[in-house]
Amino acid sequence: MATRLLWSSKAASYLRISVFHRGLSSVVKDLKYADTHEWVKVEGNSATVGITNHAQDHLGDVVYVELPEVGAAVKQGDSFGAVESVKATSDINSPVSGKVVEVNEELNNSPALVNSSPYEKGWIIKVDISDVGELKNLKDSDEYTKLCEEEDATH
Amino acid sequence: MRSSRSLQVWKLGTFSYLEALKLQGKLVSDRKAHKIPETLLSLQHPNTYTLCKRRTDHNLLIPTSELQKLVAELHYTQRGGDIAYQGPHQAILYPIISHREIGLGARNYVEKLELTMIELASLYGFKACVGQKGETGVWVADRKIGAIGVRISSGITSHGLAFNIDPDLSYFKHIVPCGIVDKEVTALRRETVTALPSDEVIHEQLLSCFARLFGFSSLVWKENNSVLSDDGKVKNMTAYASMLSYNEKAE
Repeated sequence: MATRLLWSSKAASYLRISVFHRGLSSVVKDLKYADTHEWVKVEGNSATVGITNHAQDHLGDVVYVELPEVGAAVKQGDSFGAVESVKATSDINSPVSGKVVEVNEELNNSPALVNSSPYEKGWIIKVDISDVGELKNLKDSDEYTKLCEEEDATH
Repeated sequence: MRSSRSLQVWKLGTFSYLEALKLQGKLVSDRKAHKIPETLLSLQHPNTYTLCKRRTDHNLLIPTSELQKLVAELHYTQRGGDIAYQGPHQAILYPIISHREIGLGARNYVEKLELTMIELASLYGFKACVGQKGETGVWVADRKIGAIGVRISSGITSHGLAFNIDPDLSYFKHIVPCGIVDKEVTALRRETVTALPSDEVIHEQLLSCFARLFGFSSLVWKENNSVLSDDGKVKNMTAYASMLSYNEKAE
């Protein structure tokens, strides 16, 4: 399935036609993904964490983000905060273990950044990673794309 | 193409908000660990006010000390949805389910909860609908008849919906329900000309709408007179009062 999408995208760019592939266009390479739909960007021992486009799309308009305290410990797979959308508060789980060194205060004023820019301006926390080895438990962009397709297919 | 989906229903009668919170916490963990199937709690609360984590106390129109005199409990909760009143003669459903496993994103899950209440209204011959943008819950014209507040933890839902059968509406005067100003609250009693059956029958009708909308083809009942003690252990568990499994026509 992924191969066919890749082929059609290459063909599309060759023919210069636009192709709408929600899966590929919404997943950013070089990030790692948790199967609870959080992404992490790793630079050395430093990580930036947010929720994916798939997650924000399914949640709807975000009206509030509950952020952890700077200095709080996080553990891979455990909840560290929450995102509140239309009458649903959804836990966010950390893809990495370590210590929170920065939180995105902008989200207090503009929680909708999570919807409009989930991979950039809508980042949620930055973490000093305590165990880089745990990253192998996460998915790469191809595996994550496949997960999203499988989940969407059950609709 | 969907295989038969089963829902385990706990009928709890009148159940304290705090006890329900503890029970849901346990059930969410169990569901996450695949120890229990899709589960739903059907209950009513004694007079209770709940505030969500955003702590919007300005939506409380009387001081907390006055609340105590009304014999109501006040709780702060993880639930989304701002301030709410819950009490007798309000039908409450708390589904503890994996919304992803049944093929729904968070938003669609909430929309279906709203539809559940809209369907019940149509059973009683009147039209209810969703709110305007930013106002969730279920409305009859500009009067609110049903409320929604949901928590999702690693894809497992808790809390849910509350539908006004015939609650004491004066309790709503002390709050701005769900932070939505200038809107009235109403109830099934007021909106229908049909004579109302017992609360229990209405609960089952609501449950039936839920099951149909969410694709549950069989319901397993669990009548429960148990109490959660402080250490989280369930004591005085009665045996299943009746194991009733009826199959509705698959969609």
